[in-house]
Amino acid sequence: MDEEPERAKRWEGGYERTWEVLKEDEFGSLKATVEEILFQSKRKRALESHGQVRLGMMRHLYVVIDSSRTMEDMDLRPNRLKATLKLMEAFVEEYFDQNPISQVGLITTKNKRAEKLTELAGNPKKHLAALKKARDAACVGEPSLYNSLNLAMQTLKHMPGHTSREIVVIFSSLTTCDPANIYELIKTLKSLKIRVSVIGLSAEVRVCTVLTRETGGTYHVCLDESHFKELLMFHVKPPPANAQSECSLIRMGRCAHVCFSQTLKHSQTHLDSTSEVGLSLGGYFCPQCHAKHTELPVECKICGLTLVSAPHLARSFHHLFPLEAFRETPLEELPADRFCHACQGKLKDKIVFTCPFCSGVFCTECDLFIHDSLHCCPSCINSQHSN
Amino acid sequence: MASEDELNLLVIVMDVNPIWWGQQAQRDMSESTECLDAVMVMGNSHMAMTTTNRLAVISSHFQDSHFLYPCKNWTGGDGAWDGTMDEAPYCGDGKYELLSVANNVVAEEMKRVMSTTEMKGNSTDTLLAGSLAKALCCILLQKIVTFFSAGQEMKSRILVIKTAEDCARQYMNFMNVIFAAQKQNILIDACVLDSDSGLLQQACDITGGLYLKIPQKIALAQYLLWVFLPDLEQRPQLVLPPPVHVDYRAACFCHRNLIEIGYVCSVCLSIFCNFSPICTTCETAFKIQLPQMMKSKKKKLKQSI
Repeated sequence: MDEEPERAKRWEGGYERTWEVLKEDEFGSLKATVEEILFQSKRKRALESHGQVRLGMMRHLYVVIDSSRTMEDMDLRPNRLKATLKLMEAFVEEYFDQNPISQVGLITTKNKRAEKLTELAGNPKKHLAALKKARDAACVGEPSLYNSLNLAMQTLKHMPGHTSREIVVIFSSLTTCDPANIYELIKTLKSLKIRVSVIGLSAEVRVCTVLTRETGGTYHVCLDESHFKELLMFHVKPPPANAQSECSLIRMGRCAHVCFSQTLKHSQTHLDSTSEVGLSLGGYFCPQCHAKHTELPVECKICGLTLVSAPHLARSFHHLFPLEAFRETPLEELPADRFCHACQGKLKDKIVFTCPFCSGVFCTECDLFIHDSLHCCPSCINSQHSN
Repeated sequence: MASEDELNLLVIVMDVNPIWWGQQAQRDMSESTECLDAVMVMGNSHMAMTTTNRLAVISSHFQDSHFLYPCKNWTGGDGAWDGTMDEAPYCGDGKYELLSVANNVVAEEMKRVMSTTEMKGNSTDTLLAGSLAKALCCILLQKIVTFFSAGQEMKSRILVIKTAEDCARQYMNFMNVIFAAQKQNILIDACVLDSDSGLLQQACDITGGLYLKIPQKIALAQYLLWVFLPDLEQRPQLVLPPPVHVDYRAACFCHRNLIEIGYVCSVCLSIFCNFSPICTTCETAFKIQLPQMMKSKKKKLKQSI
């Protein structure tokens, strides 16, 4: 099992002289160095790009949240559980924003058992409601890694082959109480191609290292709250797909929203969702069986057709055609008094960004916005059109 | 009513495709100058509502988009919004100076844009995605500037005045821009003069703005003032045109027909109307689901008594 050499631990390496990074300028102030460090951290995210790698777009992700006694520790404000739940709400919203046709489920583990908080579903409302309710839950007992992974596996193994199956475990305890051999479970997870990643809140635990290494996931331990958020948001992006995952054509139906104010005869259509009671005026009709649904994306309960709307698919397009990182050029090389092509503001930073295709010049803020939210270069769109 | 301290930024994106306007002038004698007048009336009214309201005008040509107001050649970027107008011309009719300045600048820039842009090709569609992207970046910059200088939040919206038809090539960029606007809580309103635009209908639906197709071009100023001048808080109190039914059906990649039920490739998300063993976009081979083999049951022969 342990044939691969493990990463050298930090205390085994030489001294890192971290104080040498900070340099004072002639007035004795550190402002320039601090700005440089902030600037580099802003750019770090923009530089990671997958390139021409196939990504798993349709994802089934289970998040296992440890609710054991150690989550009452107050090193994350107000305590670990509340901080985790708050970050999870932001995660769920961001996840459905980036992966509109994927699904998420929540599992909690405490008292040596695991319990499903929400089933795998494609709509964020249920998950957000469940997370809000879970804030009042008590943290008792010990977590059980085996039980929670087993519970997630029961559902994930029935998922179709072309989707990606993932589990993210937020693990804060240093112990786990398992009814059977966890290494056997790890072998089963590996054979089912389920990728497990762990975010640790206390310290590195050996069994998690083996788990993530065998299944192909990542394992990080958070340093503080902002680092925790960064690690969590790392899982929002679609991961590169496994080489052996099957590709298939999925039959989908496209729905348009219909308002009932004009057609009275539809007002008695019953809703398919059993959790909500009541009639609503508007809804979505399945194109195959005309059953009414209140939200998208969903699988039609009558005929089994996956229902989406075109913007859902369009949201994922920017993953397929990622925008290249811009080149950094110092301000002195440009003719004086230039303006940013996007926002028309004066260029004040020392470094500006140039698009390699259209040579448009952009300031730092616009560059960050373009790579994070916009995913297309404003001047390239113009020059593409004239071709 | 909006509170005294709120900053509202209205960005008007105007479609100035000269070929379309030329055709219009020949057809029914309407001119682009009338449209520009109506737009400036709207812009002036917006700025006159509160002193803290701001305006930006972008002209969308078919190859490029230019900021008509505020113009960077005039006071160097942010001068228009700082209130520092040392060179404001005296207009003589007692009007609020900012309005006359805005009118003059827009007229000058428009003349410059129309006379200096080279014409390549004779397509009649315009480049809305690029102008919207620039508008979003400009809004973002202003948000940061006002937040740091005055500590106030800024609300903004974009009004698109569209004349020519949609360009099908910019679908993906357009959708990216719309999703970015939705994330930033920026409304996109659309005022369409000629032909219905499916892209703008989707944009208004997703961001929560208003879509209106104007039946009479002469009354453009009236429609703009009635429908698009009130901002987001006042809109529920007014009776505005009802939302249109948006056609969200997508076109299949093989025939460009609009389909309701189709097949989606799990790798590249391209849409097909019929099942085919290979995806034409990403060239992945698909696993075909064969019907399952059933074991034949041996039937007992009925024994007739």
